[in-house]
Amino acid sequence: MVEKIRTVKDVSCPFCGTLCDDLEIDVNIKTDLVVEVRNGCQIGTKKYFSSNPSDHRYMKPLIKVNGEHKEVSWDEAIDKAADILVNAQRPLLYGFSSTECEAQSKGVELAEILNALLDNTASVCHGPSILAIQDVGASLATLGEIKNRADTIIFWGSNPVHAHPRHLSRYSDFIRGYFRTDGRNDRNIIVVDPRNTHTAQIADKYIKVNPSEDYELIQAIRAILRGNELDVKEVSGVPIDDIKELVEELKSCNFGVVFFGMGLTQSLAHHRNVDTAIRLVAELNDYTKFLLIPMRGHYNVAGANQVFTWNTGYPYSIDFSRGFPRYNPGEFSSVELLLRDEVDAALIVASDPGSNFPAASVKNLFKHPLISIEPHKTPTSAFADVILPAAIAGIECEGTAYRMDGVPLRLRKVKDPPGETLSDKEILERLIEKVKEKMGE
Amino acid sequence: MADIKLKIKKKLDFPLEADSITPDNFAGKTVAEIKKLPLYYATKKVTIGDFFDVSGKSTEVANTKIIIDGDLSNVKRIGEKMTGGEIEINSAVGMHVGNHMSGGKIVVNGNADDWAGAMLQGGELEINGDAGHYVGSAYRGYWQGMKNGIIKVKGKVGVESMLWAKSSKPANKWPTLYCGSAESFLGIHNHGGTIVVEGDVDRCAGADQAWGNIVIKGKVSRLLPSYKKVGEVKEVQLPNGEVIKGKFIEYSGDHTIKKETNGRLYIAV
Repeated sequence: MVEKIRTVKDVSCPFCGTLCDDLEIDVNIKTDLVVEVRNGCQIGTKKYFSSNPSDHRYMKPLIKVNGEHKEVSWDEAIDKAADILVNAQRPLLYGFSSTECEAQSKGVELAEILNALLDNTASVCHGPSILAIQDVGASLATLGEIKNRADTIIFWGSNPVHAHPRHLSRYSDFIRGYFRTDGRNDRNIIVVDPRNTHTAQIADKYIKVNPSEDYELIQAIRAILRGNELDVKEVSGVPIDDIKELVEELKSCNFGVVFFGMGLTQSLAHHRNVDTAIRLVAELNDYTKFLLIPMRGHYNVAGANQVFTWNTGYPYSIDFSRGFPRYNPGEFSSVELLLRDEVDAALIVASDPGSNFPAASVKNLFKHPLISIEPHKTPTSAFADVILPAAIAGIECEGTAYRMDGVPLRLRKVKDPPGETLSDKEILERLIEKVKEKMGE
Repeated sequence: MADIKLKIKKKLDFPLEADSITPDNFAGKTVAEIKKLPLYYATKKVTIGDFFDVSGKSTEVANTKIIIDGDLSNVKRIGEKMTGGEIEINSAVGMHVGNHMSGGKIVVNGNADDWAGAMLQGGELEINGDAGHYVGSAYRGYWQGMKNGIIKVKGKVGVESMLWAKSSKPANKWPTLYCGSAESFLGIHNHGGTIVVEGDVDRCAGADQAWGNIVIKGKVSRLLPSYKKVGEVKEVQLPNGEVIKGKFIEYSGDHTIKKETNGRLYIAV
């Protein structure tokens, strides 16, 4: 017998910051399983298939009893989670980048009620970009503009072939735009990276920079752009003649853009790399049109920054301990807080610090009570005292997400959540209600 | 000078925010009144009396000296916004010591954590140990950080010290940092600040400096390519009138800001 299939079209993919919105998902009507994903990249496709029930998926709330996770009712799990949060003196709420905006906004509400610390994953990815933007501003654009106009594209410390697989074909390289009618042939692709990545291999020009010396290279480019002759023959492993040639290339293009990734934000100079890159772009506007766009990783980390900002005034690393939001990355950012062991309980929403944070901070995270709102088994949830199983936003529940360029897109529900899973938003709402009850509000 | 002695009596599991410990807040108050001043511990509002033994007496601000003993390495914001008087800290001290201070003096007999003397508007901060990152710097997003005053650090200062320092010739304000050695990005975005380093400095000293003076008596691990050699000098005249003797190579920069610049970096030969 032929299985009946339901097709959902124009789906936004909840994986990376490119947030492709042209996916088509086939769902088996009888079993409610994803059977086919069209238009998605390999990673995005896998995420849809990962929503099907498997050994890795949590179906019921779990509480750790004597070192073993035991299935419990939602009421019991929420009660235990609320107990942990209310009894903590300095709780941390972290994650939020792989869920939708409504849930993020509930996270802010909970943090405010608890006078907690609130952070999202920007703190370990593009947080430095935000620090730099706060220092020196930024000339940003939407990806549609890049697609239609850009003729010179620089990928600096980013490798979209692997990290944002459809970025090149949808916005930045192969795509034909209104003024770039011949697609790839109309664009000059420049890659700056210490490694000869797969993106570098398809570029027109590859500049090999020494690891963690990007800052000096951009400073040299800026100084040459100002008309200076430099004392040195080579900067960061790049001969000065090559830099001069690059400067001429940048000055003479029609519309340039710098896409930058972790190679700038998480190498040694962090936000100062982005700071000087922003200024380079600003100064290039004396000669031609130039812009820059951060290559955001998680599909809604840009949304987390947006939601936190319109709720508290600050994009990440927020402290509510004195009853009002305060912001200071380095002081209130998760990794540093955990390294100093200042946190005595944590709620992790849709994130896995256990496999991404430095070992010393993870050790301190696991020392204290831990609540995980998570659809899948992760190294973090394995150590959690309470696991609240979530439906996957963008697959099993609706919501809003912000693309890397700050464009909000609607996420679609393509199938029902399996087992007893609830959406992140609903879990946080129940938690807020319980916490309020326990705090006597 | 009227002394007030504070001694911390509890071990801290979380940072204690002590922005009320300033001569301004203590002046003219009795010990009982001082004990009632608020502090913040984790999410709770507490009082000085809960955490400190207090003794001595105070008079007006300028004559009030606060002496603090015990382990203060996790006590933040001591001396915040103080305008006069003196604080002596006989221990390592937590973050933000003397931030926004506009007068008076703070002496730390130990190490200081990050943001010591951030946004300093005047007065003197002396640290007889190492200091953390962002010494005398601007807070996040501010374009003008330290505007006046002196910070002296015996040991090392961390990264991005004197970030966005800003001097004013008409107002005769010359923010100055003296330190033993420094990590990377010393004096980044400097707009007229003066920095004198006795020892070595890590990469990118004076990055994006618009104007100002940085004197390094040791070595620089990696000089920025956007600095250009001007020549050799036998002494350096600082804008606050001080003269530093010794053979230095004079560099101009940062040339990323302007083709011709008044920014100077002096490195000992």
